[in-house]
Amino acid sequence: MSALLTTSVGSFPKPEYLIRARAKAAKGDLSAKELHALEEKATAEWIRFQEEIGIDIPVDGEQYRGDMATYFAENIEGTVISGLVRSYGNRYYKKPIITDELRLRGPISVDWFRFAQKLTKKPVKGMITGPYTMMDWSFDEYYGSREEACLAFARLLHQEAVALRDAGAKIIQVDEPALSTRFDELPLLVKAVGIVTQGLDTKTILHTCYGNYNEIFEYFNKLPVDQLDLEMSNSGLDLLDRFKREPLKKEIAFGVIDVHSHVVEPVDLIRERIEKALTIFRPDQLYIDPDCGLKTRTVEEAQAKLRNMVTAARAVREAHHLTSGKG
Amino acid sequence: MVRTAVVGNYPRIGVSVEEQSLRRAIARFDKGEVGELQLQEAEREVVKAVLREQNEAGIDVVADGQITWYDSQSHIARKLASVEINGLVRYFDTNTYYRQPIVRGPVRWTQPILVDEWKFAQANSRAPVKAVLTGPLTLSTLAVDKHYGKKGPFVKDLASALAEEVAALVAAGATHVQIDEPALTLYPKDVSLALEGLDTIASSKGAATLTLFTYFGEVTKIFKELQAAPADLLGLDLVQGAKTWGLLSKSGSEKPLVLGLIDARNTKPEDPRTVAKQVLTLKGKVDLASSYLSPSNGLEFLPRDKAREKLRILVAAAKHAGVAA
Repeated sequence: MSALLTTSVGSFPKPEYLIRARAKAAKGDLSAKELHALEEKATAEWIRFQEEIGIDIPVDGEQYRGDMATYFAENIEGTVISGLVRSYGNRYYKKPIITDELRLRGPISVDWFRFAQKLTKKPVKGMITGPYTMMDWSFDEYYGSREEACLAFARLLHQEAVALRDAGAKIIQVDEPALSTRFDELPLLVKAVGIVTQGLDTKTILHTCYGNYNEIFEYFNKLPVDQLDLEMSNSGLDLLDRFKREPLKKEIAFGVIDVHSHVVEPVDLIRERIEKALTIFRPDQLYIDPDCGLKTRTVEEAQAKLRNMVTAARAVREAHHLTSGKG
Repeated sequence: MVRTAVVGNYPRIGVSVEEQSLRRAIARFDKGEVGELQLQEAEREVVKAVLREQNEAGIDVVADGQITWYDSQSHIARKLASVEINGLVRYFDTNTYYRQPIVRGPVRWTQPILVDEWKFAQANSRAPVKAVLTGPLTLSTLAVDKHYGKKGPFVKDLASALAEEVAALVAAGATHVQIDEPALTLYPKDVSLALEGLDTIASSKGAATLTLFTYFGEVTKIFKELQAAPADLLGLDLVQGAKTWGLLSKSGSEKPLVLGLIDARNTKPEDPRTVAKQVLTLKGKVDLASSYLSPSNGLEFLPRDKAREKLRILVAAAKHAGVAA
């Protein structure tokens, strides 16, 4: 039986050389080919790092993405990319604008999945920005209805999910950070994610973060995926009591690392968090990961955090005589 | 026959190099390469440009665009006594974030918050500049309360503090003051708290025109109560709050309105004639001559070029409504 498998949510920080290269490419001072080579280099480095520290389910680190919605939209016909809008502070991003019927130009993330999977024997996650988030984070000048736009994205992203599976992905994660923004639209989200995951024989995961979980709790068991990936340490682990009363019928990837803090959590603190999770969830149901993508941390911070996370998970396994199930 | 107003915030950067001056200045400030004065200068240049854009578009009541605000909550709360500013939290359904205020003791007004900013803006605008404040219900709802334990006294103290700020703004010459209560669209049950707070604030407005603005949703459940609000104008988001439009078009409004009919959350351009027609269906049901047409909320959620376009649409729609009337 596998227990306490370690993984990551998706993004890792880009190394300095890649940040500089992206800035140069944006100004037209670096060719797309040269940039691509550096993105491959960074991806390979992150896969190597995850192998080194012994993460069970690696990710490609999204070194080739800017914004998670914009990256997918850039590869979907019927969208253009807007000017800059503010996220917070001095951070800005470009939003997709839907101007026509959405159509898939071809697989979006499949080549990157293949590239990463070739570098490791462990199962790399396929990663899709979910249809509800794609809709919520886009301007819509075409459909005129949030539901229609969302379902249009869902149908395309289903094709992407199938293409990832056909390329060998054993695990497919749908990212829906916008999940908790409008509670009255949760049925739409369930329907849209259901379209994406329909008929997939892979393991499916839904990741969300930084929302009011209490309001969405009753939907957790209705989400059409095998595993929920939740930010738990930032919200002070206060959801655990509710899970005790209303058990989760799915697997859970339990965030034990605060991705917005510079502080590298000590191994003991992470162990404590895992032990708490183990009082509610079965070891085979429980996966260990950071709260969210680590891209806003420095490379050093992200690596130190992941290293401690893996060490802590290993220590808890040993203390409970569990194995990772990997032999 | 219907005038135009904006709601508050406005995009602070655009695509061109010149329009990114503030982004560069903040980055340099963060690295310690420029001081606070230079940063303030960069901010003020953008405030001037934003006011110029609104004046040139022909908006009747403008705003400073909240260019210097980190966000709608911490900019107001940070200058009140007993408030600390904490980490980032998602702001309603906007995919933007605010720094969350934490209240550790009785909240009090100790110093002017917006007065200097307002004075600077008014000195750089032909049209009257509206002073915009986040309302006591919204401030309390989005903050962490470590002191009061109950929303009632918390809202009450915030309202008293904001009343002092409004008095200072009016003394400085502000003729238009707006209190934003987006929280009402999410928590309509708190309407009486919001209106009690507004009552306190209204007592210091003097001769200024006071607007209560709700956005990010509909307010049909509390429309009756809002009609009795101690404000001169009621601002409504009629895009995300399309249901409010449904009610309004049937029953009209005793109180003059700020009609948020231009979609400030989507880039799709409205047809000004269609908007004008929509406004004119309210003839006889709403005092349009005392009302304003506006975006559904602040324009900051749009790219700068699209925000400019929305200003043009807004003014064109009001003109069509005037001609057709």
